[in-house]
Amino acid sequence: MNGNEEKLERLTLLSHLMQFSDAMFPVGTFSFSNGLETAGYEGLVHDAETLEQYSRSAALQAAYSDGVAALHAFRAARKGDYDAVVEADRYLMLFKMNDEARLMLERMGKKLAELADRLFPTDIVKRWLADIKTGDCPGTYPVAQGLVFEAAGLDERDLFASHQYGIVNMIVGAALRLVRVSHYDTQEILYRLAADIPALYEKASRMKLDDMNCFVPQIDVLASLHEKGKMRMFMS
Amino acid sequence: MASTRYITRVPDVDFSHAPEMAPYLDEPLAMYVGAPGKKGFLSLGFELDKDGKSILRHLDRRVPIVVQQELYFDEELPGMPCVYILSSGGQYIEGDRYQQDISVGKDAMAFVSTGAGTKIAPMRHNYAGMIQNIVLEENAYLEFLPEPTFPCAHTRYICDTRMIIHPTATVAYAEIYMGGRKYHNDELFQFDILSVCTHGERPTGEQLFREKFIISPDLCRLRDTGIMGSYDVFANVVVCTPEDTARKIYDATEPYIDRERHLAAGITHLPNGAGLLFKVLGMEAGPVKKAVREFCSKVRQAVKGVPIPEEFPWR
Repeated sequence: MNGNEEKLERLTLLSHLMQFSDAMFPVGTFSFSNGLETAGYEGLVHDAETLEQYSRSAALQAAYSDGVAALHAFRAARKGDYDAVVEADRYLMLFKMNDEARLMLERMGKKLAELADRLFPTDIVKRWLADIKTGDCPGTYPVAQGLVFEAAGLDERDLFASHQYGIVNMIVGAALRLVRVSHYDTQEILYRLAADIPALYEKASRMKLDDMNCFVPQIDVLASLHEKGKMRMFMS
Repeated sequence: MASTRYITRVPDVDFSHAPEMAPYLDEPLAMYVGAPGKKGFLSLGFELDKDGKSILRHLDRRVPIVVQQELYFDEELPGMPCVYILSSGGQYIEGDRYQQDISVGKDAMAFVSTGAGTKIAPMRHNYAGMIQNIVLEENAYLEFLPEPTFPCAHTRYICDTRMIIHPTATVAYAEIYMGGRKYHNDELFQFDILSVCTHGERPTGEQLFREKFIISPDLCRLRDTGIMGSYDVFANVVVCTPEDTARKIYDATEPYIDRERHLAAGITHLPNGAGLLFKVLGMEAGPVKKAVREFCSKVRQAVKGVPIPEEFPWR
């Protein structure tokens, strides 16, 4: 491949990256708020500053748990190691400490696996989707993202950036309906928090599955209030 | 249970493989890592005696860990042995390594706590580490409700707790972490790192859950909304119990954010039908301890049909 062809191929890859990171990508992102519905109701998130703090906390939590599982699944798929894909999938579920978070990962994961089966019907994707349907593995969204990015020929950094962007974009997207903030505020938050991604990647990319960790007790309490409450504009 | 099931050799406790502890592996300038008196070991084995009474059948320990004589002081469960763990060395200091093993045999029950808060001293070279193994056999019942842990400025502490739980057994395992010595030079969130991992499995080896939190003021903004916000104290209670019992406790427990008392609590299910996870955030140890105790009382009510009595006034 000459230099010009490589540049043109990169355009295709960039286009794939934008497609998989799009808020309208049909995996149901818009139906989850990652606890923001309750945080807004309780007044904990009430302006642009508290929304940015909340988004940063959620992004940190996601980087060292979901992000690690996504990277492991990506690398396993690149090596053709199906067992390692399943291990990342199961490990992430052991680590997910609330019902709604598990529901979100499984629903979005299965949708993305079904879509992946259409876009890239590789052996690993087909086998994984079959195992999800029989209940042999949970089928989590970050693992599905790892498989999709690998099959599309993207890089693991692309995967991690897209994953982190997706978390923050989900929250600020929900915020427009839940918190008194403007489009300008949410875009500024997205833009600023992107600067944290390289440092998060540096750490997450070196973590083993059992190094996954998460400390967001306030979000955990909010998730619990949502789980037992009656607010249902969002599913989490 | 045969006595051969308890280990007799004091095991090595080493966390040098944990990436978060990598900056803290220098040898202390004072006593070396794991020196006599810095390598605590405790093995408690509760079983039924021939009359069906729960007793402390097995006890092995190495300094600085000490346990008091088991007492039967619980008015609601007078047949339950209650044991307080103490540390004769005072605070945990750098280079200290501990292992605590607690097993509760078939149909037996036990209550384990600490005599006072666990203080973890400031550190300059190394860290303090603890491994715990908690094993519950068929229908066993354990309440592990220690006093809070107090980190100081530049404390580095890592704890790994492995629970092996029979599907019919119940354990309520509570931990309360203070943000620091807030009334001593405003020493709040000035520790270097607290790394706490609690993981559960069945006797068959089937993995149930794994919770790991790394709290480090250097690695994240603890005061951000979503992490600690304006709260200073954090408690975590893991309850492994059969699913029908978990459902009763879950239904009886309401999450809340109480602005007047500045206290918040949440409950959710552990993965794989393993049980429940209860979290509390507050400003002072007292109200958080009370919230944890009230929740654990619901656990006892669901399993044993009686509540936990009021705490002693001097505790």
